[in-house]
Amino acid sequence: MPVGLSVGGALGDPSPSRSFRPSRYVPVSAATAFLVGATTLFFCFTCPWLSDRFSSFIPLYNAVVFLFTLANFCMATFMDPGIFPRAEEDEDKEDDFRAPLYKTVEVRGIQVRMKWCSTCRFYRPPRCSHCSVCDNCVEEFDHHCPWVNNCIGRRNYRYFFLFLLSLTTHIMDVFGFSLLYILHHTKQLDQVHSGVTMAVMCVAGLFFVPVAGLTGFHVVLVARGRTTNEQVTGKFRGGVNPFTHGCLKNIAHVLCSSQAPRYLGRLRKPQSVQVQPPFLRPPLSEAQLAAKVLDNGIQQSKSSLEIMESQSTDAEPPPPPKPEHRYPGLPHTQNEECSLLTEAPPTPSLYKYRPAYSSPGKNHTASTHSSKMSRGNSMTESPSVPVTTGQPSYRSDPSLSSRGGAGCRGGGEGGRAGSGGLGGASAFGGRSYPSFTDTLLQSAAASCSSSLRSAHTAHNALGPLISEGTTSTSYKSLANQTRNGSLSYESLLTPSESPEFESAAHELSPPRPHPPHSLSTAPGPPPILGYTSPFLSAQQREGSLQACPAPLRPSPNRAFLRPTSSPPSRAPPLSPRARSLGSPPPGPAPGHTPLGKSLSYAGGAELQHRPSSSGGGTPMPNSTIKQNVANHNTHSHKPAGGVKKVTGVGGTTYEISV
Amino acid sequence: MVTSSGELDFTSTGTGISSSHGNMATEFHNLQELRHSASLANKVFIQRDYTDGTVCKFQTKFPSELDSRIERTLFEDTVKTLNNYYAEAEKIGGQSYLEGCLACLTVYLIFLCIETRYEKVLKKISRYIQEQNEKVYAPRGLLITDPIERGMRVIEISVYEDRGSSGSSSGSSTTSSSGR
Repeated sequence: MPVGLSVGGALGDPSPSRSFRPSRYVPVSAATAFLVGATTLFFCFTCPWLSDRFSSFIPLYNAVVFLFTLANFCMATFMDPGIFPRAEEDEDKEDDFRAPLYKTVEVRGIQVRMKWCSTCRFYRPPRCSHCSVCDNCVEEFDHHCPWVNNCIGRRNYRYFFLFLLSLTTHIMDVFGFSLLYILHHTKQLDQVHSGVTMAVMCVAGLFFVPVAGLTGFHVVLVARGRTTNEQVTGKFRGGVNPFTHGCLKNIAHVLCSSQAPRYLGRLRKPQSVQVQPPFLRPPLSEAQLAAKVLDNGIQQSKSSLEIMESQSTDAEPPPPPKPEHRYPGLPHTQNEECSLLTEAPPTPSLYKYRPAYSSPGKNHTASTHSSKMSRGNSMTESPSVPVTTGQPSYRSDPSLSSRGGAGCRGGGEGGRAGSGGLGGASAFGGRSYPSFTDTLLQSAAASCSSSLRSAHTAHNALGPLISEGTTSTSYKSLANQTRNGSLSYESLLTPSESPEFESAAHELSPPRPHPPHSLSTAPGPPPILGYTSPFLSAQQREGSLQACPAPLRPSPNRAFLRPTSSPPSRAPPLSPRARSLGSPPPGPAPGHTPLGKSLSYAGGAELQHRPSSSGGGTPMPNSTIKQNVANHNTHSHKPAGGVKKVTGVGGTTYEISV
Repeated sequence: MVTSSGELDFTSTGTGISSSHGNMATEFHNLQELRHSASLANKVFIQRDYTDGTVCKFQTKFPSELDSRIERTLFEDTVKTLNNYYAEAEKIGGQSYLEGCLACLTVYLIFLCIETRYEKVLKKISRYIQEQNEKVYAPRGLLITDPIERGMRVIEISVYEDRGSSGSSSGSSTTSSSGR
């Protein structure tokens, strides 16, 4: 399409060049033609006689009125109505799909809703509306007028109103004086002059009715202090208009206020003030100091409690506290929209992040979310996948996370097909729990028979997420995500870190909706073990003294797998999970259907309670059983005949049915 | 010759080698300090206060992110002064009425010649913000952006952190918890 109008300015280009649509210019061209054409004819054919017969004041008066009409017409047409520039990316820091579609503010005692504009990326101020024709949010939006081919808003409403008044006056004048001419030339109607005058009269008479009607309508609106938009949408029908100040003041506001400034096309002064450290800091008040101390104390006691509960023997520093502590106001932070949120309850069921996940102006947070959500299409596919090992070994140390990345790349790779389950998990845990996603990735990897590379790539997709989390980010939600994201990767890594997950698991358990003891209880929807309480982990650890997971290195795994018929590629994905949890079910064996997955998991869970029959007596494929037996060795049941014990590095013993 | 003068120089300073080394060490230290620079860590947005209608007014509520960066009173003074400026700009009185009449009479050609009242006040606001930035906000690692650049919807305050300082204090005020 040919490039058309571009309504940009030096600052904050509101919208990209729109396609050239000639149909938009038809009404304004017609209006201009009629106005200028008819008036010119009037001046040429009627006015000479009028000035001779009566006085020359008549054409002068008509000229003034016409000039005034034309000036207001031009101002209404060409003046910026009050277009808001698009909000910049950093204004919209909240995760889109968690932010409400509406926010309410109280305007002089009346609740007014502000809607999120997805095009302009801000909550529309009161009386602002987005014009679909111009594709801009306009301040105090009245309407889009086709006759001037422009929006009527705060800045040009006065000119539009005056245009209507002056046009009505002008039409009446032209009609009146033309009628006067005709009445004095009833016997010369066949003359050209009379004919033209009669034509002008007809045009004037034709346009008078709608124009006068519109003028009267706007006179009422001005007196009531409403916009056309508010009137036709019935916003204040039967209610109170919070924007009115009384009839006289409303009229004064329209006609006598100073010309409002435009927001676009302003010369942006370069910031001349330099910010150089060192920075002054205000002295902390006593309350603030006390809060800091208390905060540290809380963190400390919490982590020490976790350590005690988890019976961890590691000497690592306690994990950082839950995200909610770190970012105390995360759901209600002092970012762009929160201060208004605190004033009135938002509408929780409507979220501004609508299905169009791809948005050009998104920051990394959102793009990460969108990528996760897009992966989350197959939510129904693998209900059991969320089982995983959830290792959230909670590590925000950059070196460790990078180690995590490397290690995971080396070992924890899984199937690309697992991305379905992965996606399901991410949709499930889509509320910024990337650790969940990661663990799912791992379990999905375990369950898939495809190559290691796919998990590697999937992992790498989240790699930048991790690395961002370790650097100092400017967005709280992003930092929150990446911290969680680093968790699961850490857990995958080194066996020595395995105790970590338990303390971290405790921290993460609240967000997880699953019941904590699901594994030990009935095989229902598989729990997310990694997120369960330390009690469970400890219990499982007790039960799974033998089932220390094999490390990530391929060779022991290969040795481990040699006796079985499962392809070697399955082993590495399995081991991290098994290891990290110290207990079972990372997930179904690779290559299974989702149903199969859940079955195998459930079967695996049941296997714990069936001491000897797990050898080969289940209806599931042998390979699955082997995997599950190997992984579900929680209760260290004596395997039946035909089960081979394989010892891995680190004292892991696996029982494999041959 | 050079060496002798060099030695002379050493002795003339009366401090000897150690102190010259000390001076050099100081220089190194200063250079390192000079290399410290600020990086943008976060942006705080002060929203509009619509309780009085659509008049331009900003909330004076003190945002928690600035809690450790600037005194409450300084911040509130700035916002209140800005609100007063905007109220003055939007005041409907004699001057604005005359301006309107003049515009009508000159068929709006007067807008090409003179500056409207609002624009005049906006210039005052811009100067005020510049002055506040220089005197109050930049020394504290903050910068205020003129709201007109954001369509007068928000006051944007950029929070800077000292990037070059020791690691323990790096990170923005809101993400100061880097898990240490």
